[in-house]
Order: sequence, then structure tokens, then C-alpha cells
Amino acid sequence: MRVLVLGGSGYVGSRLCALLRDSGWATPVCASSRRTSTGVESVRVDTRDPAAMADALRGIDAVVNCVAGNASAIGEGARVLTRAALAAGCRRLVHLSSMSVYGTAEGRIDESRAIDGAPGWYARAKCEAEEHVAAFAAQGGAAVVLRPGCVWGPGSELWVGRIARFLQARRLGDLGVAGDGWSNLVHVDDVGQAVLAALRGTDARPGVRAYNLAGPDSPRWNEYFVDLALAIGATPVRRLPALQLRLDAMLAGPPLKVAEILGRRWPGGARFMPPPMPPNLLGLWERHLHLDASRAERELQLHWTPYAVALQQSAAWFLQQRRGSLPDVPVLRGGDSPT
Amino acid sequence: MIAHADTIDNGACLRADVCVVGGGAAGISLALALSGQGLSIILLESGRMGEDAATQALYAGEVADERLHSPADKYRQRRLGGSTATWGGRSMPFDPIDFETRSQVPHSGWPISYEDLLPFYPQANALSEAGRFAYDADEALGAAAPPMVRGFTSEVVRTNGLERFSCPTNFGQRYERRLRVAPDIQVLLGANCIAIGLEADGRSVRDVSVATLAGRRFRVAARATVLAMGGLETARLLLASRDVAPRGVGNEHDVVGRYYMCHIAGNVGTLVFNGRPQDVRHGYEITPEGIYCRRRLAVAATEQRRHGLANCVARLHFSRITDPRHRNGVLSGLFLSRKFISYEYGKRLHDGTDPTPGVYARHLWNVISDPVDTAAFLVHWATRRTLAQRKFPSVILRNRTNRFSLEMHGEQIPRADSRVTLTGKVDALGMPRLHIDWRYSPEDIASMDGTLQLIAQELERSGTGRLDYDRATLEEDLLRFGAYGGHHIGTARMGTDPRTSVVDADCRVHSVDNLFVAGSAAFPTSSQANPTLTLIALSLRLARHLAGRLAPRQAAHVHGAAP
Repeated sequence: MRVLVLGGSGYVGSRLCALLRDSGWATPVCASSRRTSTGVESVRVDTRDPAAMADALRGIDAVVNCVAGNASAIGEGARVLTRAALAAGCRRLVHLSSMSVYGTAEGRIDESRAIDGAPGWYARAKCEAEEHVAAFAAQGGAAVVLRPGCVWGPGSELWVGRIARFLQARRLGDLGVAGDGWSNLVHVDDVGQAVLAALRGTDARPGVRAYNLAGPDSPRWNEYFVDLALAIGATPVRRLPALQLRLDAMLAGPPLKVAEILGRRWPGGARFMPPPMPPNLLGLWERHLHLDASRAERELQLHWTPYAVALQQSAAWFLQQRRGSLPDVPVLRGGDSPT
Repeated sequence: MIAHADTIDNGACLRADVCVVGGGAAGISLALALSGQGLSIILLESGRMGEDAATQALYAGEVADERLHSPADKYRQRRLGGSTATWGGRSMPFDPIDFETRSQVPHSGWPISYEDLLPFYPQANALSEAGRFAYDADEALGAAAPPMVRGFTSEVVRTNGLERFSCPTNFGQRYERRLRVAPDIQVLLGANCIAIGLEADGRSVRDVSVATLAGRRFRVAARATVLAMGGLETARLLLASRDVAPRGVGNEHDVVGRYYMCHIAGNVGTLVFNGRPQDVRHGYEITPEGIYCRRRLAVAATEQRRHGLANCVARLHFSRITDPRHRNGVLSGLFLSRKFISYEYGKRLHDGTDPTPGVYARHLWNVISDPVDTAAFLVHWATRRTLAQRKFPSVILRNRTNRFSLEMHGEQIPRADSRVTLTGKVDALGMPRLHIDWRYSPEDIASMDGTLQLIAQELERSGTGRLDYDRATLEEDLLRFGAYGGHHIGTARMGTDPRTSVVDADCRVHSVDNLFVAGSAAFPTSSQANPTLTLIALSLRLARHLAGRLAPRQAAHVHGAAP
């Protein structure tokens, strides 16, 4: 089976390409708008370009959509992809959505919950993409939609590297009520296994089936912050007042963001500036959304990576990267965040 | 969800699987632990989110001897979170010996062991925000952590035990959102439980009656009802519910309200260490996870048995604040500002004597002549306590002289005649008010004496220091401020024999099939430890018991097999 992985150079996509390559039954084709990957067959393609998509889909049996980026890449990209796939006769699609489609809902949430997408462009774009996938299924496509929480593991810049640096700088710690939300962390390999299971299971039955993905033992954010801080030696962990966090994000955030953008123009420049604290994270950390991923466990027969194992792997990756022995960290994007 | 009880229809009868009466540390922990298991939970809280004077006044009662026990409405808060709104945060587990039947402590012995409670302590620590469940200094701080006293090692008096501190966490504020989000928990604020209504045979609860200060009345009928109202109010409600059981619910053998315990506590003696001041650690350490903790002196369990001592700890403390001879600007500053400190925290700044103008002048002189220390203290206090979210737990002075007193905190022997009863007067809702007659025993003082002797002996043997105290004034030193405030224990004690206990090992009232007690009322003995952490652990254990007891029928419901 030839599987086109869109966004194949991203955090989830590159890991997925490796899993597919090693599966013995699938041949991944890594599609990326930014760069090509080594070790697997790859093409450069912008998913918003219908002609390029039609080319890329030639000879493809199934598509996995891991595209990240801006609203247009996510929303418009899904529209072009699904149309091109139908036209090319490729009827099997695994689409990586996000828990952000549940909007501001709180509590234990399974896949029967209606998606609403408010607020924020990212959630709206993810909802729009899911609508295109639904339309694809209505026209005979067999689609699986995966809605992961925060995808982490070794190599995760968003949910390990960035968090760890905030912890080291004492800009993060135990947040009390402001960090009482569920992390919904899910290991990148578990997401990969879910995609593989979905590919093997979608025997071209038309329709769409959604699955939440989150480690059943993933803790609340505070617990993760304390555990990660202990694992990387950023101790003693501080209890941060909510005000400090808000000032960091709202006041220091904009100038740091500007400095980050300017810093990219000089080689190595960004390394010396403290990263900005994205304000949307504050809402995420205090949000009591608890993804119920039991359907995925049941129907995709997932064996979740235990939280403690993922934590240990992630901390080891971070410490090793700090020592400089990992020159090229694959993938800087992944999970549920536009930042 | 959280709603106000005045939104409930007058005369309504609400139904739930579990009704928890009282939204303090015990009730909130219990409700959260029960959530997510297919059960419906109603949590009745008398107060609101903040303090409310009319609600607080419902606590008022009589005290037999005001020198021995603080007024009934002090150290307690009727609001969501209960007394965690004002607690000090000391989070200690009980010791294994506390659960044993000990010849030196009459009426001792729990029907459960330390090991039965152990699985629930880590979660209790997490809820209290007191860090890991690690109370050995080597384990919590690493073997390189400095000892309490360099050169002092003893198998008799241990110094590697830690006490940990909560933020202190206000459970109402901290867990409000969890309670709001939980679809299976309904919190009703302003809901005062005024009666437990038993079925005619007296063997099960039919419903509980709820009243609001605005005059609304309704009932809650649940498959299991849990009283989590604190050591005083739990006994009050049991005793006041006399419709079916004439002596009060669960009180067939006149045990409810008896065996009432607090802690014996006070500052004693003068301890002088021989070495350098920097070789003594009397203050707080911070664990890697960021928790303030502190070493204490404790007599090893084997030595307690050998010498017939009750359980007790001692902390290194400064000398008496009220006496200006300490010549310490910080302490004198505390003394002078005592009018601005709450009753609960200022109590030990008022020792019953009226200070003369000369005493005030000498305190003022201490402040003026010690400006650097006083200013440094104020800065530290402002940044680490007033403005901090995790608060520096108490006043710690720089050790300049190696002179300390010992701050003792120990259990008291349970006594049937130390008790709370009902008076003829009633509160705004018609509930009889409490009469509190707290008593202690000469053996309590003798046990403290024995503990102090062991500490003195071990200091002398090791050559590290010298403890002097006046045995003639020991009782006065320990009772100067009466019973240690805020720890209300034992009024519905746990046991196997209904003639000497109220609830069984599952916290169920012996004579009532579906009525349970959570909280320190159920403790048969009081330990050296402050009660909060253990009452949370006991509530979590009760939650597991209730989930197991109530779940099978629930499962049957789901499959449509049960009626």
C-alpha cells in the first residue's frame, strides 16, 4: 500500500513515515511544502495547489493528512486534498484533526460531542477541515479523523522543549488553579500507531469515524510541569502566581515575539532571546477538558505508552539536546497549537 | 455544578446516590473522588464561597471553661472549603503506632491499620498541595541535606522526620472549578442540614432535611449519606436528630460527642546547643518539588512503648513572645501588632496577663534597637508570605544564640467525660447549640514530661546540648492557651464495639445501614499529627468503599436487570 503522508516533515508526519516504512506492508511517500525528508520517498507539494495534489496522488492508495501551518493550509488545504483524492480515485483518508475542535467545552468529552471550533482561528480551521473530510466521506470516501490532545514525546519542541525551557527559566512551575486543566498528552508513537491501525482498518467502507487520542493516564498540567521539572533538574519548582503568568504572556509576550522574529534573520540569533509565552497556552492550561479516548483504545486496539515512560524519554531527549549532541532535531511542530 | 440552595423548590425531595453534608477538606475530597464512577453526588454546604457572618453565627455555642477551649465558632469556617480557608497547612500523616492498641493510652486502637490508610495518603498530599508522600528527610531532601543538629544521632529521639506544608490550600477556591465542571456533582451552597430523618425502624436514613437562612426547606434522599461537617458539627447533628432515635442517631450507647480530643501543645523549657549556630537547622527546607518542610524531634515508637509514652513531637521554637526579655525586635513587633492578627493566629500572643505600660515600652525598645533584623524579617515576610502563593509557613528567627524553647504537640488520652452535648438554646434555624466540655488527663502531662526527659537525656548523652524545663510549671506551660485550637477529634469515633464507638472500620454508623462519617470525628485517637491530611486520606478511603458498595446496583441499572 502506497501512503501519501501530507505534512510528512512535521513532528507527527516524520515519525509516521518512519513507522510506515518499518511496517512491512506500507510504503510511505512523504509530502511536504517545506523540505524533503531523508530515508523515505518524498515529494514537495503545497496542498492548496490542485494540480500538484493531483500529481502527488497518482498511484497512491491512501492519504494521511498531517498538515500544520496557517488557517489556509489547514482549511483550504483539506478542501483541495479531498477533492483531488476523489478525482484521483483515492478513497482512503486518515485526517489528523485536534481536540481544539471541541471549542471551549469542558468535562469528559467523547467523540459524540458536537464540534464548534470557537474561539480562535486554529480551532475554526480544524473544524473547516473536518467539514471537508465529512463531505469527502459523503461522496464515497472512507475517512478516519483523529483528534489528538497535545502530541509529545522525544523531539517534541512544543510540549517538551519549550515547556522545559520555561521551567528552567522559572517562568513556569506549579500554577495552582491556572494549571489545573487536563494535559491530554499523547505520545507521538501512539498517534502513529493509531494512524497505522486506521489505515489497516479502513477497508474502503464509505463514511467517517472520529477518534480522540490522549493517554488515559495523562495528568493535569501542574503535575506534568512538576514531573518534567524534577526530571530535568529545574528544581526547586516554584508556585507561580497567576498574575506573573499573565504579565509574562500579555506584557512581555509581544516584545519577545518581535525579538524572536527579528532574531531569525541572524543565524543563531533566536537562541539568545527568551521565547515568548503564548497567551493561548494560559487558556489551555486552565481548561478542564478531559478527552475520552476509550473508543480509540477499543476499536484501534491501541496500547498507550505509559505516562512515566513518555516522561522519561522526553526528559532524556531534552537533556541530550541541551548537551548539543543532537544537531538536527526533526520537526518543530505538532500537537494542538497554532503557536 | 454549583448552585445556591435557594434555587431549589420549597418542599422538594432531591435524589442522589450519595449525599455529602459539609464542603470542607473531607467533603470536597470525598465528592471529587466519587466523581466519574457513574454515581450522582449532592454536596450540601452551609456557607457560600466567602465568609458570611449570619452563617458563621450558626456555629455559636457554649464552652465549659473558656481558659481550656476556644469559643465554638473560632478556628472554623462555614463556607465552601470549610476551615481550609484559614488553616496553617501543616500536612502530616499519622504514625503506624497511632493505630495500635497501646496499654499506655487507654481507649486506643483503630479497627484499621496504618497500611490500610497508606494507599490514600499520596492522593491526600496531592489534594493538599503538600508535594510527594515522603516524610523522611533523606528521602525527601536527599542524603546530603543538613541534619537538624550536627553531631546529634540517636535511636531514641529521631530528627529525620519531616513535616510538610500545604500552600496553605483553600479547598473551596482551589477545587471550585473541578466541582463546577463535574457533571455528576451538584454542590448546593447555603444548604444547612438540620436533621437526619431515619426510616421508622431506625436502621437506615430516609432523607436529610435542609434549610436555608432565607427560609427555604427541602430534603435530600440518597442511597448513602456522609456527614463531613467537622468534629463538632457532626456530633451536633447526630445528637439533634431525635425523631426516631430518642438519644440521637447512632447514640444508642451514649458515645456520640464523647471522647472529644484536641491536642496538648505549648512552649516548654530552654534548650541550649553547644556547637555553632550554623550547625543547627531550626527553620524550613524546600524540597525539589517546592514544598516547605521542617525537621522535628520525635520519640521512636519502640521507646514510646518501652517508656509508656503517648505520641508527641517537639519543634525548635523561639522563647515566649509576650516576655520582652528575649530582646528580639521581630518578636516584640509581633507582640505589638497582635491586635491586627486574627484570633486564631494571635491567640498565643495573648497569655492572659495584662501587659503593663513598662512591658509595652520594653517591646517597643526591642523593635527600635533591632532595626536590621526587624526590617529583614518584614521584607522576607512580605515577599515569601504576604505576596506569595505558597506561603512561608511560620515566623522563623535567625539563630544567633543557639537558645531555643521546645514547641510540643502531642496526642491526649481519649476520655469519655471529655465531650460535647446539646444545650437548650437554639440557633437561627432551630438547631440546638453545642456545649463543649473539653478535658485532659494528668497522664497527658506526665507523658509530655517523659518525652522531655528522653530528649534532655539524649542531648546530654550526645554532648550536643542541654534542655532545662520546670516540671512544676509544665502543666501550666502546656495549658496556658488551653487545648490547641482547631483540631476537633473523636466525637463519632471508629471502632468495632458499638458500646465504645460510633462508626465501624468503613466509617459507617454502627446502627444505621447507609450513614457514614468522614473527617476527624471518626478518629479514635488524635496522634501527634495535625488531623487534616489524615481526614482527607480517610475520606478517600471512604470514597472507594462507597463506590464499591454502590456501583453493583448501578451496573445492574445500566443493563436493565434491576427494578
